[in-house]
Amino acid sequence: MKKGYPRFFLLPGLILLIAIIIFPLLFTIRVTFSSWNVSQSGLNFIGGENWSEMARDVRYWGSLLRLFYLSFLTVAIQYVLGFAIALFAWKGIAARRFFRVLWLIPMMTTPSLMAIIWRSIFTEDIGALNGLLNRVGLDPVNWLTESGPANFAITIAEVWQWTPFMFLILLAGLLSLPKEPFMAAAIDGASAWKTFARVTFPMMAPISIGAIMIRLIDASKIFDSVFTLTRGGPGNATETPAAYIFQRSLQDFQIAYGSTLALTYLILAILTLTIIGKVFARLSKPKGI
Amino acid sequence: MAKITLSNIGHSYNKDKDQSTWALKPIDMVWESGKTYALLGPSGCGKTTILNTISGLITPHQGRLLFDDKDVTDIPTAQRNIAQVFQFPTIYRSMSVFENLSFPLVCRGWKADKIKARVHEIAEILDITDKLGRSAVKLGADEKQLISLGRGLVRDDVSALLMDEPLTVIDPQSKFELRKKIKAINKINNLTVIYVTHDQYEAMTFADELLVMSFGEVIQRGTPEQLFEKPNSKYVGNFIGSPAMNFLPVESRSGEMFFGSTKLQVKDSKGDLKGKALEVGIRPEYVSVASAPGENVLEADLLGHDDLGSVRVLKCISGGAPISVKIPRSQGIPASKKLHLKLPSEKLWVYQDGNLA
Repeated sequence: MKKGYPRFFLLPGLILLIAIIIFPLLFTIRVTFSSWNVSQSGLNFIGGENWSEMARDVRYWGSLLRLFYLSFLTVAIQYVLGFAIALFAWKGIAARRFFRVLWLIPMMTTPSLMAIIWRSIFTEDIGALNGLLNRVGLDPVNWLTESGPANFAITIAEVWQWTPFMFLILLAGLLSLPKEPFMAAAIDGASAWKTFARVTFPMMAPISIGAIMIRLIDASKIFDSVFTLTRGGPGNATETPAAYIFQRSLQDFQIAYGSTLALTYLILAILTLTIIGKVFARLSKPKGI
Repeated sequence: MAKITLSNIGHSYNKDKDQSTWALKPIDMVWESGKTYALLGPSGCGKTTILNTISGLITPHQGRLLFDDKDVTDIPTAQRNIAQVFQFPTIYRSMSVFENLSFPLVCRGWKADKIKARVHEIAEILDITDKLGRSAVKLGADEKQLISLGRGLVRDDVSALLMDEPLTVIDPQSKFELRKKIKAINKINNLTVIYVTHDQYEAMTFADELLVMSFGEVIQRGTPEQLFEKPNSKYVGNFIGSPAMNFLPVESRSGEMFFGSTKLQVKDSKGDLKGKALEVGIRPEYVSVASAPGENVLEADLLGHDDLGSVRVLKCISGGAPISVKIPRSQGIPASKKLHLKLPSEKLWVYQDGNLA
């Protein structure tokens, strides 16, 4: 076989990579230096105007901050709840097969169905939650039209939908752990809490990091729950970058400006997740040299 | 340390009613305080089941377990004060060597300075003081196994030390060193030790008493010498010693044993024995090459030999029965293929239907 042949076999993959990742990325970068919008399409050159506009766009940076809070909070809750449920299922409670399936239902629910479920719960005048509050003698809450409660509603919906994912990954991790360290911990006289804190949790670190990173990557694109529950409102109190970019790019048709926002968002997401990944890796390193 | 009593203890993993299928058939046994015992037998014979029953990792299907006459059958593992070393080195991966060794003491609520002193004391004995600050996961298998052992020794409340084939994954050179270390430590601590192995040399060099097991039953219990010199069954004769004991089919005629037409004098003869499978057993170590026919001398053909370093094993056959003969290397291989083999009467034992007559 001639020397250059093996490289030919890489070509289909390379072409695909260039077609679906490299080209759109380079094209997006070029678009950010144009004024492509609803009235002016095409690749003209306007320098860094879009970038300087973005730097002054308080709504965009606000949505990024909101995303930080929403993604970290929801993923943290999902992790704690998912781990707790996985521990229950792992330790073997009655009818665990039934519960395993039951806990997976939210994850299998489509976003539109999820929206119907949660809107029916949170809707202020006829919603189930306010009905419940009314019955116990409490004032109704503006779940979807007031900033704090609206963010709370989105957090709940996110947690409800994605905790099963954490549960599934963490349960698989728990089931794959070797038995010996637990036997050793029992012999060493460790209490249930010490066994969890010093044996189970550290052994689960690589799996936990994997699950958290997957969920953080996913949560950094929070859109479905925001769009279906509040449409970013009231005002832009629940707006995430994905929702804002969607609006600027595909509703207002400010393609160039939307591309600038999307590209910045991508760079920030990559940087943040890389740093988080490194921090996690350092934290989970075994003690000692 | 404690005296351990197994009173009618039996265990079945699948809760089978038929006791013949149990992993551990009901057994009564007492293990004296401060002695070292080795459980010996092939894989699946119930050795680990006995250990895990004692440590509480398994609750026996039936029977009671006593430590110094106190019933501990229903007491959880953590409260039994047992130290157990597993077949595969078990360390806490996220902890340093120091933290691994101190973990049992942390669980017992010891103060930090007391823990530090005790851990250093044990590390000194195990010769791992220079590794205390290292990450346990980065150490080699033999060092990890030392840490497993250290976690048992660091405690001052250990009733018994259980070791489940602790040297299986260790390379031969480290195995020798580790075995020496374990023996030395046992002498210092004077613990009741139960050592599971399927390596007879390990068992014989290590233990005061050996228990040979098969299919969930203890077949013979005794000192290494008793088991080697006078196995109570063909099973033990085959299991203990390398090569295995020679067994020759014999006939009893008027109280005398005959191998074919050759009369064999047996010192400890039980008189006229009737049985379908009557055999005499002798260790290859006690068979010697004779220069001429005589009393208890068989004619045999030399088929070949195995070279085992300091000794050789001659593979012979006589009257259709294979006979192994262990000779020192210095003796040399016999020049003739026709040999006379001497079977000393005081080393011959009669077996009837597989058991010592």
